[in-house]
Order: sequence, then structure tokens, then C-alpha cells
Amino acid sequence: MTLTPFLRKFWLTLHVALSVGFLGAVAAFLALGVNGLISQEPQTVRGVYLAMELITWSIIVPLSFASLVTGLVSSLGTVWGLFRHYWVLLKLLLTVLVAIVLLLQAQSIGYLASVVDERVLSGADHYALRISLVVHAAGGLLVLLVITTLSVYKPQGLTRYGWRTLREQGTKPRA
Amino acid sequence: MTDRPPYGGAPRWVKVFGIVVGVLVLLAVVVIAAGIAGPHGPGRHIPSADADRGALPVGDSENSAAPAGVSR
Repeated sequence: MTLTPFLRKFWLTLHVALSVGFLGAVAAFLALGVNGLISQEPQTVRGVYLAMELITWSIIVPLSFASLVTGLVSSLGTVWGLFRHYWVLLKLLLTVLVAIVLLLQAQSIGYLASVVDERVLSGADHYALRISLVVHAAGGLLVLLVITTLSVYKPQGLTRYGWRTLREQGTKPRA
Repeated sequence: MTDRPPYGGAPRWVKVFGIVVGVLVLLAVVVIAAGIAGPHGPGRHIPSADADRGALPVGDSENSAAPAGVSR
């Protein structure tokens, strides 16, 4: 099914807005994570991990799945397809990877939020877990930047499936 | 009837991308296997039953000693 030009732009606008919002939310999550790691103020540390849990479930997780769904609609509803071009396929794989790691990390942040809700967290408390959140957030941000770059540059390259499909349609493949 | 060119394979940027991802995955495996990154896996993210009683999750107890004067 091919979307009409109006619907194609509508879904594309939605996809770009949600994806960029997702990237920004992860950047905010990273800033909070670093703050929670270096701050000496117990109240700041408490507020940081509670805020991280809040933005994880109210913003980051919904945006990640919304970005994935709008991306699927945008690719399947246009000539780009989902498995025809390497850049689209890589975007899909990287987005799914980010979503899986995000859900695993959400358990950690939920646990830390429950800890700070009950008692004061000192500088050394759960240090490995807190570093892990920062490292995974930084890695996630990097992957999202790669995804954004792929979307903007759209590097050429057809998959074997894309090549075959275009040949069957009688269109000359570009690369 | 014209002969159509065969599929030319993946472009260079895809191969470079694959190599970079492979190296990063290998690096992550080494870091995890060496224990530098601490315990990993889904179990690490799930608080144990002890945690609900105020104890700490497995693998994080070395970092969890509360300083004097801090109540739990």
C-alpha cells in the first residue's frame, strides 16, 4: 500500500518529531544520570533518580515505540520499503536494539528510584548500577545520532531483496 | 532480450558499518567477560527478593555500604 502525498508527509512529520524528541529525551536522561553520579547532595540525588524514572516511563519509552511505529508506517507506505534499502533496514535494526536495551535499563532506573524513595543514597551506593545507566544512555544517544545521520544522508545501497523487487517492477536499480 | 547486470552486493559503507559494529560488539563481550562492567544480563536489572527487605541486589553489595549515620 502506498500512502498519498498528504499522508506520507503527515507520517514523516510525525516520525521526525517523535524521533528527535526521543533523542532529546535520552540526552536529558544522560544529563540527569551524570548529575546523579557526581552530586554530593542527597536531595539532588534523590530528585535525579525519581525524575529519571518519570521521564523514562512518561516520555522515553512511549517516544521510542512511537518512533518505531511511525517509521514502519512511513517506510512500508512509500517506495522506500522496509527491506529494500540498507539504510532503512539498519535504522530498523538499531531502533529495535535501542528499544530492547531501554526496557532493560528501565528496570534498573525503577529499582534505583525505589531505593532513593526509601532512604538516602550515599556517593558509593549502587555505584556500578549508576555508572551503567550513564554508559548505556551515552551509548543509546550515540546510536540515535547514527540513526539520525542515516535518515538525513540516505546512503545508496539496495539489499538483494530490493534489487530483485525493482527488477521485477521493471525499474532500473540505482545501486 | 537484454542481459540485466547481476546484484552487485552490499556497498562499501555497509561493509565498513558492519566491521565497526562487529568490533564494538567484540569489545563489549570482552569487557563483560572480563568483569570490568560488573555483572550483566537481565537478572542484574531485576531486584532480588532480598532487595525488597532492604538488602541489596547481588553484585552491588560491595558498593552499598551505608556511611555512618545514614539510616536505611
